[in-house]
Amino acid sequence: MRLKKAYALKRPKLRQSWNKYNLYNLSRAEPPNTFTRTFFQQKWSAKSTARAYHGETVKEKHWQRMFRRRLRSVVPMDHNQLARSDGFEQAEGRGSGLEPHPDNKPRPFPKTPYMNMTFAPLERRLDTAIFRAMFASSTRQARQFVVHGDVKVNGKEMIYPGYLLNPGDMFQVEPDRVMFATGALKDARERRAGRKARQKSEASAAKSQDVLPSDSESAPTTEDPLLTSTAEEASSDSNKETLQSLLSQAKNLLTTPSSASNLSGKRKQDLRAFQRLLKRTLSRGRNESIFPQKDTSLTDSLDAQLQELTQKLNLNPALPADEKIDPRDLGPETLTPENSSLLRKALTEARENPIDVTKPYATPWRPRPYMSAFAFIPRYLEVHHRICSAVYLRHPVARPGLGEVPTPFGNDVNGLSFNWYLRRR
Amino acid sequence: MFRWLNGPGAAFRDPLPGSTNYLNAYDPQGNLIRARAAPKSTDRDDPKSTGEEGGLDRPDAGLGRSQLDQNIASGKPMPRETADDLMPFPMNRQFRSQPVLSEELRDEIYRRIDQEKKSVRTVSAELGVEMQRVGAVFRLKTIENQWAQEGKPLATPYARAVNAMLPKTPFISGSRTAPLPHESINDLPVHSATARQLFHPVAESLHFNRASAAKAFSRDLLPADKRIPHPELVELAKVAAQNRGRDDVVKARRNELEKQEAALLNMRREQKAAQEAAAKKIDTPRWQFRFEEIKAESAGKDGRSKGGVGARYGIPPQDRKKGQIKIPTKVE
Repeated sequence: MRLKKAYALKRPKLRQSWNKYNLYNLSRAEPPNTFTRTFFQQKWSAKSTARAYHGETVKEKHWQRMFRRRLRSVVPMDHNQLARSDGFEQAEGRGSGLEPHPDNKPRPFPKTPYMNMTFAPLERRLDTAIFRAMFASSTRQARQFVVHGDVKVNGKEMIYPGYLLNPGDMFQVEPDRVMFATGALKDARERRAGRKARQKSEASAAKSQDVLPSDSESAPTTEDPLLTSTAEEASSDSNKETLQSLLSQAKNLLTTPSSASNLSGKRKQDLRAFQRLLKRTLSRGRNESIFPQKDTSLTDSLDAQLQELTQKLNLNPALPADEKIDPRDLGPETLTPENSSLLRKALTEARENPIDVTKPYATPWRPRPYMSAFAFIPRYLEVHHRICSAVYLRHPVARPGLGEVPTPFGNDVNGLSFNWYLRRR
Repeated sequence: MFRWLNGPGAAFRDPLPGSTNYLNAYDPQGNLIRARAAPKSTDRDDPKSTGEEGGLDRPDAGLGRSQLDQNIASGKPMPRETADDLMPFPMNRQFRSQPVLSEELRDEIYRRIDQEKKSVRTVSAELGVEMQRVGAVFRLKTIENQWAQEGKPLATPYARAVNAMLPKTPFISGSRTAPLPHESINDLPVHSATARQLFHPVAESLHFNRASAAKAFSRDLLPADKRIPHPELVELAKVAAQNRGRDDVVKARRNELEKQEAALLNMRREQKAAQEAAAKKIDTPRWQFRFEEIKAESAGKDGRSKGGVGARYGIPPQDRKKGQIKIPTKVE
């Protein structure tokens, strides 16, 4: 579904999107002029601006059927107050409670913004809920995710963006799609690297397919000496790979102009020092391996790896001197506590947020620009971002002073559109 | 537009570390309004830069983004957001970005249900979190643990970035004071019967209370004390008021109520299991067929009742009609 002039600048419409044009339009949006216009004109323009934001993919007839004149609201109650009295005092006097003394008049109760709930039925839609849970950068993208089969409702694939969530429904989006939707875009260099990696993997896949028939017969039976020896070295290799990826990451941070400009001078210095250290660590020969074989096979956690590394390099100042460390290993590479914490942090980050050119988003993952201005989670959803899953708890409600439907329009526009849709009812 | 994006709009490009970053927190010049009043010290420290970058020739203007970043880097505390700073839509003053559960609070909810075996209702009352939300947190946490066990990759960097952009309800474990409530747990839904204005003359001598008001609106309407999600809290508060200084009585009553609730939940679970066991199931490679007893009378006298099943003579099926929505209405 294409939309022409989604983010027009001349006659702007607000959209459910994190687009920067949309943010600009939002920043300069003003309440409509009602001064010289008839009531009909006011209603017409109000509903057309509101509908450009609320469910623009939903056909007007469809929305008219969804529209309800009953608006949900709640009043928060205090159980202590309820226990204290049975409400008799509110019917005292002339029937609406005694007039309080002017000095201790209670604060006026904020009004419930009922009109802001006009478009509440559309918040039940699956595509809108995905956008509200911050799993997609626009409702249209959320719609695409649903249609392409990347969304599950209660563990089952749901391909209808117009599915109306019921209270208690859980929806899940494929984490990779979410990372793509919310992550920064790749630049030309990264795209090229990704393309190359893909070509390489395709070529190797084709090659292995050619070799496969003969290989598959021999592989399970024969004990390949080369295979076993590599397995022994694999653990130390994987550590080296981690360090190498760290190195490239640090290099990347320093060379990419966009990220380099964001770094402070101190951080750059730290990074360079860290880079030097890693290089020195890596350049040691395999014979005097930094990772003793028997220990690495035992340790799999990151912390243990790090401890091992620091121990071997004699980096830990807290370590007692009589610990058996080969004096041969006491090299010039001594890591300060700051550097070791930096290394620990970098190792964790490299594990969690690796550089991977094959991903469709810029790696290491970072949020897309202008995302923070749109970042909020409405209360009717409970979102667990780490597994890209959310639960639709209940229908949105209005409460004194707060409307739960995220709408950029004020009471006026919403009220006028509510009136418009009341027309034939 | 690009003038705006490179000028005042540049503040929104990257998230503000340790804070939310909404449109309404900034003035039209792109200065953070809440930074205006609070850090007087910045003016004293570096009056020149404030005048040049943030100030825009107004001495009381907020701070520009570059200035803010400098402040953050030098470890100066950021003033806390006011209610107005949490408005993502400047035109809609009735919509606020409300706090989400912090990671610690989520872990605590999971721990209290999983390890301490507390009921959802109890945890909800203790921590000030809606019951549905408590249930959802437990469900989602369970899935997360399952994924971690399976070695499925989690979207950790994304979750960390998003959490940093949102306001959060903190939870301090081991603190003596009661935890900060996340939301109001006793929300009374406004019943449609009470939406009208009612003139109901009563005798002056009549003790007209909430229960009588509910009766006046509708015969079946229960009073607010019974319609709220946590009616047991009202009762416990009453018991506590009657037995001042006797915590054991309150505790006994609480235990009794918890037992009652557990029994009710157990009964419902058993009923459901019995229903499930009663249904006749036939497994095929592709589907599981379930057979349930159907009564012909359920179609009603005129045959048009909603409960009626199957094709009925004289009743045209609606499913091919224009505008009939054929997407599923529920997923189980």
